Amino acid sequence: MNEQALITDAQGGNLDAFNTLILHYQDSVFNTALRILGDEDQAADASQEAFISAFKSIASFRGGSFKGWLMRTVTNACYDELRRQKRRPTTPLEPDTEDGEEMDSPRWLADPNMTPAQQAEADEVEHAIQHCLNNLPLEFKTVVVMADLQGMDYTEVAAAIRVPLGTIKSRLARARLRLRECLQGFAELLPASYRLEDGMNVP
Amino acid sequence: MNQRDLELLSTYLDGQLRPADSTRLEARLKTDPELASALSDLRSARALLRKLPQRRAPRNFTLSRKMVGQNPPLPRAYPWFRFATALATLLFIFSFGVNTFGQQMASQTIGFGRGGGGGESTQLFSAPAAAPMAAATQAPAATEAPLQMAPVATQLPPTADNTIAETPAAKSAGDTANAVNPNQPQVQSEAQNPIQSPAPLVPSLWQIVLAIIAIASAAFMFVMRQLSARRWK
Repeated sequence: MNEQALITDAQGGNLDAFNTLILHYQDSVFNTALRILGDEDQAADASQEAFISAFKSIASFRGGSFKGWLMRTVTNACYDELRRQKRRPTTPLEPDTEDGEEMDSPRWLADPNMTPAQQAEADEVEHAIQHCLNNLPLEFKTVVVMADLQGMDYTEVAAAIRVPLGTIKSRLARARLRLRECLQGFAELLPASYRLEDGMNVP
Repeated sequence: MNQRDLELLSTYLDGQLRPADSTRLEARLKTDPELASALSDLRSARALLRKLPQRRAPRNFTLSRKMVGQNPPLPRAYPWFRFATALATLLFIFSFGVNTFGQQMASQTIGFGRGGGGGESTQLFSAPAAAPMAAATQAPAATEAPLQMAPVATQLPPTADNTIAETPAAKSAGDTANAVNPNQPQVQSEAQNPIQSPAPLVPSLWQIVLAIIAIASAAFMFVMRQLSARRWK
């Protein structure tokens, strides 16, 4: 995929070129929205809004990391969604069981390639991490999602959310520390393969 | 451990620290167990985050032209038809305005003439279309002064023709017209039909032509849009 050529075509109004870019980035965009919002339906809506907004404003893209530019768009869409939620609260992430309690591992989150045991483990971990992410302040959550979940480097994250590099470093360090503290509360719930590992080598 | 150390550890973990700073930090890590423990915590948290499964998008988010408000490309002739429609519609409306305004002006001028400028009114409306209206509207004015007109009328010897055709009002109107301008026998005869309205300034034929142009041009525009949308799909 010649990304630059597709971007240039999209800037000329070529929707097919932009749709090719969407197909390439839609998983990243959706995952970013999902981790920020914590809800699949809202994340899908925010992703769709982000792509519409991105197409309408692609003429303003002046080079650099296209992924970072898309991440900024989806982050803004998530902020809009969160503002809407504040005005109009919606139902929680987990569907209810027959007893009226939240379902910890909802069937609609299941990956068909996993065994039930693996799926249960993955669900536990994902649930724990998402819970801790939800407890982070929004600006910390955005940075940690971009850097640790999307693998963007500091410069890309700084450009995407338009804050200085030093602020990115600071927010990321504090977000990791808070996540670590939060995840310690789930230590006994995490299966062995997902236990927090000590003594890993420095990169 | 302070905030600065926390940032240093996190940046070191991502390999973003300058070599000189890295060397200094590594030396401290060997002697400071609290710092080493904090590094271990950060590393563990980061490792766990990176193990979080990446979900597939639940659907394709590709955009349709409708979603982004794109319209199909229209033929080059389309703006001309749009211009023709707009112009014909404006002129059509304007023609009605002109005709209405013309009639009002005629009425007002006659009213002014009745107050003392009857002779001037016929001069103002020298156009053939305005003259009958002026004569016609003089008839009611004449009836307002039957006592004054009566002696004049009775002085005239009646003839067979005018006793049959003239009504009392028309007769007195005709007398008034003769009194104002005796050299206009035509006006006297037209005053016998007081309900005749003045001819419009813009002929009806023009209005019909403008309406046809506006409607036909709009219809062409509609067809063009439909065909363009069908081709675009």
